[in-house]
Amino acid sequence: MTDVKNLFAPTRRTVMLGATALLATPAILRAQSAPITFGTLTPLTGVGGTYGPSMRDAAANVFTAVNEAGGLLGQEIDLVSEDTQTNPEAAVRAVRKLIDVDGVSVVIGTWASSITTAVAPLCWENGVMLFTVSGADSITQLPHMGYIARTQPNSVLQIEVAGDFMLRQESTGMAWIGPQTPFAQSSIDILAGQAEGAGIGMESLIYEADKSTYRSEVDTILRSNPDFIMLGGYAADSTVVLRDIWQAGYEGRIIGPAYAVNPTVLEALPAEVTEGVFTWEGAPDVGSSAYANVQASLGVEEVDPYSAQTYDHATMAVLAAAAAGDASGMAIRDALRTISQGEGDAVSDAIAGLEVLAGGGAVNYSGASGPCDFDEIGDITGTQFLFRQISGGTPSDFERV
Amino acid sequence: MLSWLFSVATFAGIYALLALGINVIWGMGGMINLGMAGFFALGAYASALATGAGALPIPIGLALAAVLAALAGGLLCRLTLRLRGDYLAIVTLGFSELIRLIAANEIWMTNGSDGISGIPGPWRAELSPFQFNMLSCALVTLAVLIVWAMTERLRRSPWGRALRAIRDDDTAAAVAGKPITRFKVQAFALGAAILGLAGAFYAHYTSYIAPDIFRPLITIYIFLALTAGGTGNSTGAVVGAIAVVAVLEGSRFLEGWVSVLGGVEKAALREIVIGVALIAIMQLRPRGLLPETPPGPFLKRKDT
Repeated sequence: MTDVKNLFAPTRRTVMLGATALLATPAILRAQSAPITFGTLTPLTGVGGTYGPSMRDAAANVFTAVNEAGGLLGQEIDLVSEDTQTNPEAAVRAVRKLIDVDGVSVVIGTWASSITTAVAPLCWENGVMLFTVSGADSITQLPHMGYIARTQPNSVLQIEVAGDFMLRQESTGMAWIGPQTPFAQSSIDILAGQAEGAGIGMESLIYEADKSTYRSEVDTILRSNPDFIMLGGYAADSTVVLRDIWQAGYEGRIIGPAYAVNPTVLEALPAEVTEGVFTWEGAPDVGSSAYANVQASLGVEEVDPYSAQTYDHATMAVLAAAAAGDASGMAIRDALRTISQGEGDAVSDAIAGLEVLAGGGAVNYSGASGPCDFDEIGDITGTQFLFRQISGGTPSDFERV
Repeated sequence: MLSWLFSVATFAGIYALLALGINVIWGMGGMINLGMAGFFALGAYASALATGAGALPIPIGLALAAVLAALAGGLLCRLTLRLRGDYLAIVTLGFSELIRLIAANEIWMTNGSDGISGIPGPWRAELSPFQFNMLSCALVTLAVLIVWAMTERLRRSPWGRALRAIRDDDTAAAVAGKPITRFKVQAFALGAAILGLAGAFYAHYTSYIAPDIFRPLITIYIFLALTAGGTGNSTGAVVGAIAVVAVLEGSRFLEGWVSVLGGVEKAALREIVIGVALIAIMQLRPRGLLPETPPGPFLKRKDT
């Protein structure tokens, strides 16, 4: 009878067996992975954690649907998801794993601008296509050789559209208040230019983020008697600024980006504080069939702009690979504009697009976030904007431009 | 896969340098420096600006990073001499926020919150990404070895002994005739220099720095590394840093083993694993994996 003690004592044979198994592990892992591997790199934890999970799911659902319909180029698409932790240092480590271990040819969904800028060089050096939802102007000015495409309108365009809106609403004095961000100074410059053109005043103030009160900053900005204030921050500080503006007895109008005056903020603040506040965003194309696809696949009534964009990223990656007959990052980069714009058949989902391409046709993808046409440096063109006004704590559509 | 291992080893090396720097200041000198990210940033920005806008060679950038951080460290220590414990922690935390705010707002110099991209790396253009990872790994490992040997030698020297005495009871050390101020400032400056050096390595390796990178998250990781490895022990600092990076990076593979989990659950599970691992270490080895031991001579003499 075998002694129980001996059973667990390492013998030369068991050690050798174990060592062999350990050596073979990478081979097992390799055998399981499919030849086509795409990656998502969204903020699953940290500040961006509100959006990251559904952004990932929107992309994942596209790949699942394609796999169920027979795959891409005759192969299954393998999806690997990593977390940016909404921190550039952690994101760099995550993207290294995606590129070096998983061998992805596409990275989808980087959210914060500093993270996109941090991971972009690694992507273009390794020939990996990067689809992003970041808005900072500097991103597409990087020497990226075409490896960056973004579906988020850049911040210049966003501010111009909002400034126009404020003037259309007959503002007699504009103000901008927000933290130091890559787009703070350019926002101020744009609004100042528009205000000067309209012959009205414009006051601005850059504050330090993460403070518990902005009362003195708000008082400073109110001294110029603005009747329309634009918020330039994110959700956490906008909550505080909105409360302080209300407490200061301001009676004019306020506009903030939809990601800053988001449902969490509306829930945290009493309805009278947010009454009448405008929000604006690069709007998903709510009438499109692509948008309906995302609604159905995520099982939600209202799709946030970022998830609509990652749905488009995933679909465009699939279609570009199919059009090129090759799923490498370089092939997808070269084929991207042949499927996103041009004279081809208008399609709004991957399966339909694959069918057209298989029949030898050309496609022009129009997505959930908009027409998805890119200029030569990878910026999106032709995005729609949706303005909403908050009443009783809930936003309702005000204007679409 | 191999390229990734080199890259992880490079990050582990940078973390090890940070842990060694904190070990000199906190482990050996007993001064809590929550401003680690500030010195890290200072070194990174100094070297990035010197080699980018200043077009100086990278070794000079590294040296400049260490010198600048040492000067800032010495000055900060001199100014805060009378603070200890929690109060020193608060002031140093303030210092690191100060550096981050300067980096975010002095746009003419630092390019603000856009950050500095395209920082040169050694032969980055000539090498393939794989070779660059390998070279970076080798250089950082070499730096860790040198710094480790240096701090270990110091720890065993009379200087290190006096510093330990000051850490444990500075009044007693002062009575014994040790110049406390000088020792503290020297230790702080030396530790800060190592932190600055780590920052420079980080900048040249990743090619991009921005104020967001230098938030306190990284400080927390390094303090965890040092407490896990063994405060006051240079070898412990290196081992702890490697362990933290191994847990941070290794936990990415959980998805492969636990196939029922999607990406979101995996991200949450990672954070849980990291937390549980550290609680376990603290419970089982409260003084770290490698507790500080009274050191003998660095190299034993044969004849004694």
